[in-house]
Amino acid sequence: MGEAADEELMLAYRDGNAAAFETLYTRHRGRLYRFVLRGVKSRAVAEELYQEVWMRVIEARGRYAPQAKFTTWLYTIAHHQLVDHWRKRGLTVVALDEGEAVPDGSQDPAARAQAREDLSRFAHALAALPPAQREAFLLHEEAGMTVAEIAEATGSGLEAAKSRLRYAMQKLKAVLDNG
Amino acid sequence: MAEDERDAKVTQRYRELGGEEPARELDAAILAASRRAVDSRPAPLVAPTGRRGWYVSLAAAAILVLAVAVTVHVERQSPDAEVATRGMVLQGPASTAPAPTPAPAPAPVEVRKERARAAPEGGARRDEFAPEPSAKPAAPPLAQAPARAADAQGTLASAPRAARAMSENVAARLMVQADSPEQALQGIVDLRRQGRHDEADKALAEFRKRYPDYRIPPEMLEKVERR
Repeated sequence: MGEAADEELMLAYRDGNAAAFETLYTRHRGRLYRFVLRGVKSRAVAEELYQEVWMRVIEARGRYAPQAKFTTWLYTIAHHQLVDHWRKRGLTVVALDEGEAVPDGSQDPAARAQAREDLSRFAHALAALPPAQREAFLLHEEAGMTVAEIAEATGSGLEAAKSRLRYAMQKLKAVLDNG
Repeated sequence: MAEDERDAKVTQRYRELGGEEPARELDAAILAASRRAVDSRPAPLVAPTGRRGWYVSLAAAAILVLAVAVTVHVERQSPDAEVATRGMVLQGPASTAPAPTPAPAPAPVEVRKERARAAPEGGARRDEFAPEPSAKPAAPPLAQAPARAADAQGTLASAPRAARAMSENVAARLMVQADSPEQALQGIVDLRRQGRHDEADKALAEFRKRYPDYRIPPEMLEKVERR
């Protein structure tokens, strides 16, 4: 079951195999959660949206047909949730929580402080991206999607998806280069 | 294309942001929901097949039978009696329809009404001698009524007075109901023919009281007097 493709697992769940869903969930929980978390401002909201995405998956299991990759379908649902959220509450960014992981590459307190500062600037730069660019970047990094898959999941054109991802990469790279 | 845009340093820095994961409680809630959904098995979007298909057929048959029954019931409850009667005629004698046939009941009423209308206009004057104006021809009632009286005489101990009173009553009624002396005499003749001579005698006596100046023709006299 662990080696089965996502689509096979979803079909098995559609036919009543609860264990298939558990495997599928375990496989995608972290990446989907981070995608949602970094798309909104509040952790509580992120958890709410994240749960809602999976509920939609559960509810829609009877209609599921493997016409596309499961990840594309899953993140399309997540995209719609985020869009609804943005429409309701405006375009917001997520702030890094206290105590987030910090690279421990050096024992030097000054170097560690510098690394923390660099990471903070990167996080703020990511949060400051326009939502569509941030979403394209997160889909690329977390879901491992190609430009074509990003376009499909977000319902946008191929050129638009390519532009969003390119701009996002350029801005974030600039932060690193200036650091 | 995406690979071209990818910058290893950007990806590395993004990873350094941390691998946040959902809370265990959230995981448990979602997995529990997924299991509940499988257990509850909501109605599928497609028509059920196989072993669950029988109740669909049963429901369809039940609906069909109900629809036919309601249609037949409404048709029979139709206030248009003519249509209903026509329907029964078309069904023929083999029909098991429980509805009563309307023809026999109203017919006697119509006959009585018709006779009641015809009586004053003349025609069968024998009705004149009937004890009841609306009754059928005079002879049978006149014959039946005394016959019933005779029966009563034979069965009741105090019958003689009653029978006498009845015969007097018949004679008096005969005279009252006759429009002319000739009709009255004809009534007496009828009584003689029926063998009801006592009543005929009383009727004749009553006739002579009522028409003292009437001269009964000899041939009629032979018929009305007792021999």
